[in-house]
Amino acid sequence: MEQFLFFLLSLSAIAFAVGVVVVKSPMKSVLSLLGSFVALAMIYLLIGFQFLAAAQLLVYAGAIMVLFLFVVMLLNLSDVNAVFDAPIRVLGQKRIAIAASAAALIGMIALFAGGSVQASESVGAIPAEGYDQIEYLGALIFSRYMIPFQASALLLLATMIGVLVLAKRRRDSASDVNSEEPAQ
Amino acid sequence: MMDDILPAELPLFAVWVIKAVVIFGSLISAAGITTLAERKVSAWIQYRIGPNRVGPFGLLQPLADGVKFIFKEELVPDGANRLMFRLAPMITAAPAMMCIAVIPFAGEVVIGNYNLGNLSITDLSVSVLYVGALTGLGIYGIILGGWSSNSKFSLMGAMRASAQMVSYELTLLLAILSVVLLAGSLDLRAIAESQASSAEGGIGVWNMFLQPVAFVLFIIAMFAETNRHPFDFAECEPELVGGFHTEYSSMKFALFFLGEYCAIIVMCCLVTTFFLGGYDVPFWDSAPWFIQLASFVAKAACFIFLFLWVRWTLPRFRYDQLMGLGWKVMLPLALVNVTVTGAVVSFGWSPLITPVLAVAALIPGVILFARSNPGEASLTGHALSEEGSAS
Repeated sequence: MEQFLFFLLSLSAIAFAVGVVVVKSPMKSVLSLLGSFVALAMIYLLIGFQFLAAAQLLVYAGAIMVLFLFVVMLLNLSDVNAVFDAPIRVLGQKRIAIAASAAALIGMIALFAGGSVQASESVGAIPAEGYDQIEYLGALIFSRYMIPFQASALLLLATMIGVLVLAKRRRDSASDVNSEEPAQ
Repeated sequence: MMDDILPAELPLFAVWVIKAVVIFGSLISAAGITTLAERKVSAWIQYRIGPNRVGPFGLLQPLADGVKFIFKEELVPDGANRLMFRLAPMITAAPAMMCIAVIPFAGEVVIGNYNLGNLSITDLSVSVLYVGALTGLGIYGIILGGWSSNSKFSLMGAMRASAQMVSYELTLLLAILSVVLLAGSLDLRAIAESQASSAEGGIGVWNMFLQPVAFVLFIIAMFAETNRHPFDFAECEPELVGGFHTEYSSMKFALFFLGEYCAIIVMCCLVTTFFLGGYDVPFWDSAPWFIQLASFVAKAACFIFLFLWVRWTLPRFRYDQLMGLGWKVMLPLALVNVTVTGAVVSFGWSPLITPVLAVAALIPGVILFARSNPGEASLTGHALSEEGSAS
């Protein structure tokens, strides 16, 4: 049963992920990404990571994808279709992308087939009891992983401020243009 | 005689099925009863009689409404995205209904010789996060419903609803966070039990009194989160016809409605669990399970009445007022409250001083805020609307 669910969920996660790239409508693309995230959360739940599953849904599905949807809805969709009809050629963009992903795939297969990455005993098994406990995770975040945690928080803050500065500047110049008009 | 036929102990699977069917069935019926209650309460507030034709006192009105919805013509607008249009009501209703699975209605249920365990479909160790994740997913149904209808009014309603739900979800979760800090657990049942006087190390005071700021913030945010009056911009009739469900008819429309009422009931259950001690019966620790259940239902029913009362009493906000209130007032208040609660918990002070400290911490903030935004601009986001009209 567990195995069947795992294969069902991972297959749907992969199918949704392929859908993100293949589907033409940006709206559908965002929604298949959402489906992929939900399937991933279910897989976490299957291994017993309740916290990780909830966080995945809360952060990715609940917050980030809503933002994506907003951006897509605010975009002018006819412009996006125009891009598909007459793609902009950026120096063999397609060839580079295909080569890079093929290289990554071959590398991964080589790693697993070559035995550099051994399937350890813990793979597939449910981790030790209490591994998923909130107290344990919290203690780890605020002791061992304190610096990465703070660094990522700082990065997010910096990004937010950067976006605000960029958006604000544009708006100021726009309002300058507007305020000059009545004077003339 | 009965003892011979029935097994001595029910199999676990049977217990799950019984609980799931009973609790889910109760949720759906409660949603139906709430629609009737809404019409009755509105009638009472407006000196009318309300529905009184179907059944005694109009009690069968929800059934009649359901049958009417089934027989209505189902329209799919031209140019609508058919798949999404069909999917949207389901995506709205399902998360709201799924939340009921983790709500603890009572302690151990013992009927005759059978012990059915605690009265909730399941007890997750992270049930608070589960609820948060599901309320986040509920937004998709509304966005998709508005977008796939291929109508300007629907799209605007959907944009408003989702912006509002994202903004107020922050306040809602921060208000919950201060309660979680006090209880030291993300489990709804543990949070409910930490407020009982029998709790280990507990002081037997409901969080409503320990966390008055969080309580008020949670109540305001839950109105916004369920898109209810006075924050119902998603379906603001004078501006947007019907908002995101303008183009919906028949059972799909009913499903949106069912989702809304289920969300209201779930929110009332949550506020009861977080702030009113859940199924705790005051001054009676060893109450049997049906008394506990009655206590829970009575508390939740009070909040459902509050929802209806507010809807038929207060006027609607303006949209920029709503956003101003959410981001400039409620979010800072919630942050201050979480900080104060965290300090109390980490210094090991008595939780009884939390309300005093929280209110004391808020006073300078409120004074500063009032000085920087004199007059009515304080709450109305007046500056925001001026900027909007200038550009």
